[in-house]
Amino acid sequence: MKKLLSLFMFLIAITSSYQIQAAEDDKPFAEEKIVLQISDSDPFKQTLVLNVASNIIKAYGQDKVDVEIVAFGPGLRLMFKDNVNSGRIQGLTSSGVKFAACGNTIAGVTKKLGHAPEMNSNAVTVTAGVVRIIELQNQGFKLIKP
Amino acid sequence: MNYKNKLLIKAIGASLLTCASAAQSANWLMLQGTEPAGAAERAKVWGFVQAQYQYDNSDPNAGGGYNPPKLIGPNLDDQSQFNVNRARIGVRGTGMPIDSNVNYFILAELGNNGITYGDDGKHLTDASVTLNHIPGARVRMGLFKTPGAEEGLQAIHVFDYINFTTVTNQLLLERFPSSSCEGGSPSTGPCTQSSDVNNSATATPDADMNQFSRSVGAFRDVGIQVFDTFKSGSWENSYAIMYGNGNGLNYGDNDDNKDLYLYLSTENVYGGKGGRREGLKMFAWHQDGTRTNAVDRTKEQDRTRSGLGFKYLQRPFRISAEYMQGKGMIFQGQHRPQHLFNDLEAAGYYAEAGWYIPDTNWELDLRYDSYTRDENFKQPPTSPATPSAPGDESTFDTITAGAQYHFNKKTRMNVEYAMRDAKSDTKAIDNNVKGINDRFAIQVTHIF
Repeated sequence: MKKLLSLFMFLIAITSSYQIQAAEDDKPFAEEKIVLQISDSDPFKQTLVLNVASNIIKAYGQDKVDVEIVAFGPGLRLMFKDNVNSGRIQGLTSSGVKFAACGNTIAGVTKKLGHAPEMNSNAVTVTAGVVRIIELQNQGFKLIKP
Repeated sequence: MNYKNKLLIKAIGASLLTCASAAQSANWLMLQGTEPAGAAERAKVWGFVQAQYQYDNSDPNAGGGYNPPKLIGPNLDDQSQFNVNRARIGVRGTGMPIDSNVNYFILAELGNNGITYGDDGKHLTDASVTLNHIPGARVRMGLFKTPGAEEGLQAIHVFDYINFTTVTNQLLLERFPSSSCEGGSPSTGPCTQSSDVNNSATATPDADMNQFSRSVGAFRDVGIQVFDTFKSGSWENSYAIMYGNGNGLNYGDNDDNKDLYLYLSTENVYGGKGGRREGLKMFAWHQDGTRTNAVDRTKEQDRTRSGLGFKYLQRPFRISAEYMQGKGMIFQGQHRPQHLFNDLEAAGYYAEAGWYIPDTNWELDLRYDSYTRDENFKQPPTSPATPSAPGDESTFDTITAGAQYHFNKKTRMNVEYAMRDAKSDTKAIDNNVKGINDRFAIQVTHIF
């Protein structure tokens, strides 16, 4: 009986651990992890970073790669609600690409505009874009700056 | 290098190759009046150069003289000419990139054409600011192209031909009376009919038939425009209402009359971006204004223009057609800078088609255009010996066969051969236009 109880508790612990892991990593079968940086004001770079994300997904397969685009500085415009590329962002989100917007940059833009910029609903605001990149690199993500 | 890294490099490489420019997919109103939201540059420098050669094979009149349609513009001196007809450089974007609600557009012409001829060889053609704060009602102010006929509204550097159709050239490309005799002065009194410079047909090579000292209107005006585009599935519906000086490229107004411009279009978009986007567009427009009489400034003359048309483009085919009509300020010739306008009617149309030869860089074009000036006007005969008095109809028909070779997306060469025919019920005019013959032109365009 005691052995059975121990086995039961052991199974619960394993299951709980797996659930936490899955919550933190929604792409458990990803063989490659890529973080893409957009910090440039050049509109060409906006198209380029989205193309890179799209081609990575095509090359590896949606479930085999984890891609996150982090925007900060002048590159934050990519994640404005009215950005001309919002349709592509929606499409990439559907393919599993994540978008992170720098909170520090948003604060700076808010100060300049006099109001907060409307952000793309697919973009998650992080404290600092560059810190998010460091965190992701620590989790095994490779940094690419197209 | 492992397989994963190779995949990654391939993905990035493919992105570099497929990365398109940030030009937004929109119609001329949007392409010229707005910038892509969230993706505009602070100051994007751009422009284009067009260099050309034209040869006119027309015959002189009985006296050995040539009139403007037989000479190469804008100089109208001779029948052949190399020319840098357009050299434009401009800046556009948004001064504060984080605010997509405001954008600007500036463009200057340094080439030799109707805009710059007689005006020191340079002229600002566009200078506008667009405010995008109100949903459905963007506001553009300044100097810019007026909403109207496709041939005038479209960006000239993607125009599929070298020369405008006669109807667009004579009916829509507005000329403004030369300042040398514009209404005289309080001390000298108004100009008179006899003071008009009315050059008769002159021998080459120094015919000097362009008597204008002011820029053509270039399908532009200074004013305010409210406009926007609404998407519904694959369709884009656009409108524009503009209120302007009615004084072309001149910054200020020369009278207290203003012009009203109305424009509607609907387009089924098939794909692509920018000026060569594929789709089927239908449009209609109307312009209404009043001009001060060039000779007697106490008199005014209404000027109305309207038209409709369509453009279909889905490679390898392109078909478009427009019909235009107008009343008042009907242009009578480049050699009469004061008395060239009358209060009659005129109408014309064109139909054209293009074929992009598959798997090549070549494109073939064919256009027919017709224009009738001083339409339906018959002056009473002054005597049995002169049954046709000045003011009767003149017609101009042209068939243009052309080819374009696209060296790349920014560089192309146009070659065209125009077969022209003109006649007039007025004997004096007919004597001058009946020798109008074919014209050959070649032009290279490079956009940067």
